[in-house]
Amino acid sequence: MLAMYQNVFPFLLQGLWQTFVISMLAIFFGSLVGAFVGLGRARGNRWTVRGFGAYVHMLRGTPFLVQIYIVYFVLPTTNLAVFQLTSFQAAVIALSLYTSTYVAEIVSAAIEAVPRGQNEAAQAHGFNGFQTLWYVVLPQSFKMMMPPMGGVYVLVIKNTAVLSVIGVTELVREANVSIQRFPSFILSVFLLVALMYFCYCYPVLRLTRWAEKKWGGLHLNV
Amino acid sequence: MQNGQHFIEIENVSKSFRLPGGGVVNAVKDVTNYISRGEVLVIIGPSGSGKSTLLRTINGLESYDEGQIVIDGVDLGHAHTDMNLLRAQVGMVFQHFNLFLHKTALMNVVMPQTVVLKRSRSEAERTARELLERVGIADRADNYPSQLSGGQQQRVAIARALAMNPKVMLFDEATSALDPETVGGVLELMAELASEGMTMVVVTHEMGFARRVAHRMIFMDAGEIVEEGAPEHFFTNPRNERTQRFLREIL
Repeated sequence: MLAMYQNVFPFLLQGLWQTFVISMLAIFFGSLVGAFVGLGRARGNRWTVRGFGAYVHMLRGTPFLVQIYIVYFVLPTTNLAVFQLTSFQAAVIALSLYTSTYVAEIVSAAIEAVPRGQNEAAQAHGFNGFQTLWYVVLPQSFKMMMPPMGGVYVLVIKNTAVLSVIGVTELVREANVSIQRFPSFILSVFLLVALMYFCYCYPVLRLTRWAEKKWGGLHLNV
Repeated sequence: MQNGQHFIEIENVSKSFRLPGGGVVNAVKDVTNYISRGEVLVIIGPSGSGKSTLLRTINGLESYDEGQIVIDGVDLGHAHTDMNLLRAQVGMVFQHFNLFLHKTALMNVVMPQTVVLKRSRSEAERTARELLERVGIADRADNYPSQLSGGQQQRVAIARALAMNPKVMLFDEATSALDPETVGGVLELMAELASEGMTMVVVTHEMGFARRVAHRMIFMDAGEIVEEGAPEHFFTNPRNERTQRFLREIL
């Protein structure tokens, strides 16, 4: 038993670290892109609304597994230098795009959920479009974004498991390799893997809950 | 009342809305009116008569399809007119107050000053406290809108608009959403403003207020100005049949 942990545990930890790095990068870049796309959908002109709408629907209407295949296996066949990606790069890009669509939906929904009167009041006092968004709309939509954002981040973390198919040495990949070396440990290894995912995801959910409470002083209960 | 140039000129203004179903509503039809500095104009009329739409065109919250609106020499329809600057000078009080929900009463009055007029925080706060004192709710400065009654919220909204030093104040059914017991106080405050010489355009159903405070009244129906005159005229011998019917129903 002890031998098992000595042989397997360090690799799993390494996999968990990789999972952590990739998911954090995807959450970071996905949130940036998603905020931009969401803003464009909620507040942009006709073209950004349509263009970003198509972007969101295309990515949400296809399985993540297919997306990662396209980024890692299909794009390189174009022979364009930019698409010759390592599996790590492909993983971060695909997962960021995937994250951005969910973030975009949350951001645009939260912006549109702010009552029209709030926009009008700002406008009537001479706020320009940016000032209205920055001082009036976003502070109010921010709180609404918190709980669904936590859900998306957890979804992203769990979806890193799919990345094992392109050879990214994240947690599931490390587990599979370990089991090939020590087939009899299959139960304990995957229990451990599940526990590791839980230990990563649960605090993320708690964190968004906490953030929601912290900004609960917004008094939006009208 | 003034020397040739009117403070607010509304000339042949029309506005129509396209309905989602495909129909068209002519909300405002060829309206012309001139408002003088210091004048209190009260607009009455049944709901859907276009009075709120007309009011909202005066600060550009609503665009208009035809005609011209000029406020203190500034043409709203001109491409180079800075509409944000103009709106900052035209105070607006809404039926549903529209206080910034994430800010305290004090900060509701402070924020537009710092953001739009670029006043310093301390100067804006001093002005805000003075105005909250003036509208009678200095003691609720640190409350959020959700902790205030409708009447209190509307007082904050009036203070917020006054903080911009507006040239004119527009009131869009400012007391229609209030509990009956708080209506009087808000009307009193509006009457005070009027007596201090503020130019005001007031859309309201409060005929007592109109009679007491208005210098001039307009009755609108179906997007048109049907009748216009001094309050005395309206309440003693309205000429138009539609005006008579409306006043009969509301009084």
